[in-house]
Amino acid sequence: MIKISVNGEVKEIEENLNIEELVNLLNYKIAGFAVALNSTFVAISSYNKTIVKAGDTIDILAPVQGG
Amino acid sequence: MTKNIQYESETWEIGGKTLTSRLLIGSALYPSPSNMEEAIRTSEAQIVTVALRRQSAGDKAGGDFWNIIKSLGIEVLPNTAGCHSAKEAITVAKMAREVFGTNWIKLEVIGDQYNLQPDPFETVKAAEVLVKDGFEVFPYTTDDLVVAKRLADVGCKIIMPWGSMIGSGKGLMNPDNLRAIREQFPELKLIVDAGIGKPSHATEAMELGYDGVLLNSAIALAHDPIKMADAFKYAVEAGRFGYEAGVMQKREFASASTPTVGTPFWHQFKD
Repeated sequence: MIKISVNGEVKEIEENLNIEELVNLLNYKIAGFAVALNSTFVAISSYNKTIVKAGDTIDILAPVQGG
Repeated sequence: MTKNIQYESETWEIGGKTLTSRLLIGSALYPSPSNMEEAIRTSEAQIVTVALRRQSAGDKAGGDFWNIIKSLGIEVLPNTAGCHSAKEAITVAKMAREVFGTNWIKLEVIGDQYNLQPDPFETVKAAEVLVKDGFEVFPYTTDDLVVAKRLADVGCKIIMPWGSMIGSGKGLMNPDNLRAIREQFPELKLIVDAGIGKPSHATEAMELGYDGVLLNSAIALAHDPIKMADAFKYAVEAGRFGYEAGVMQKREFASASTPTVGTPFWHQFKD
């Protein structure tokens, strides 16, 4: 198991998960979200080839009101 | 018989889109989602700003909000609000492009937490990267002419100087600075963004020849946001009409508007 941060919360997950597996594990089913790994954008097309490592910081963002 | 006055052009173009409304509206701070929806519809704005924030897996609010916005059928302008560096803003812009399916981005890089003033250095840096990456960048900036020049130099076709601080409602702090930017960049699309507090502020911005105004708090925080949305619709139109009609020159002295020839009881001044 490794520790990562998801939206500011520490999570323990299995090693060698990719982003696609991670968002499925976290049960993200909201309509439309985007992912950043260590403050860098990860495109949907890259989810399955981007492996999450110990200490990584993941941000999962969704639409909200804005000015 | 009255003549039906028309705009010089019924439409205008920004970011590759042809629009009729020159009011850009925010989607935040309304009393309720339904109030937001009705206010935006009433304003007849054709561009609405939205944002991205962290969301937990079970939270459906983001999806519900996005569905309302999509149902409006108008252009979506995502922002990078809350970013404090070019790197952060570039990342959020790319995330927004994927989520919202648009290459438009309201580039907002804050340089000071006290007055939420845009950081001109990081904004220009981010704009350069984003323009090269195919984004249509709507940079939020101060009313500084040189910053506007730098943004134009890196390829921005649109510039959005502030009227005054975000959410302050103080109106146009420096109309002379805004006028200078308008005069120096006739080819750019210029939007006054932030600081608009009441309809007359929007009218004033439009009378300066700005192509549009972007506001949120002035409508959302009004006692009656829907009525205020209507007021801003007319205020923006009035300002545009005024600009197109050509405002009279100011004069230093009084000048009677009623003819003086034939004035009764003519006052003869004697030494």
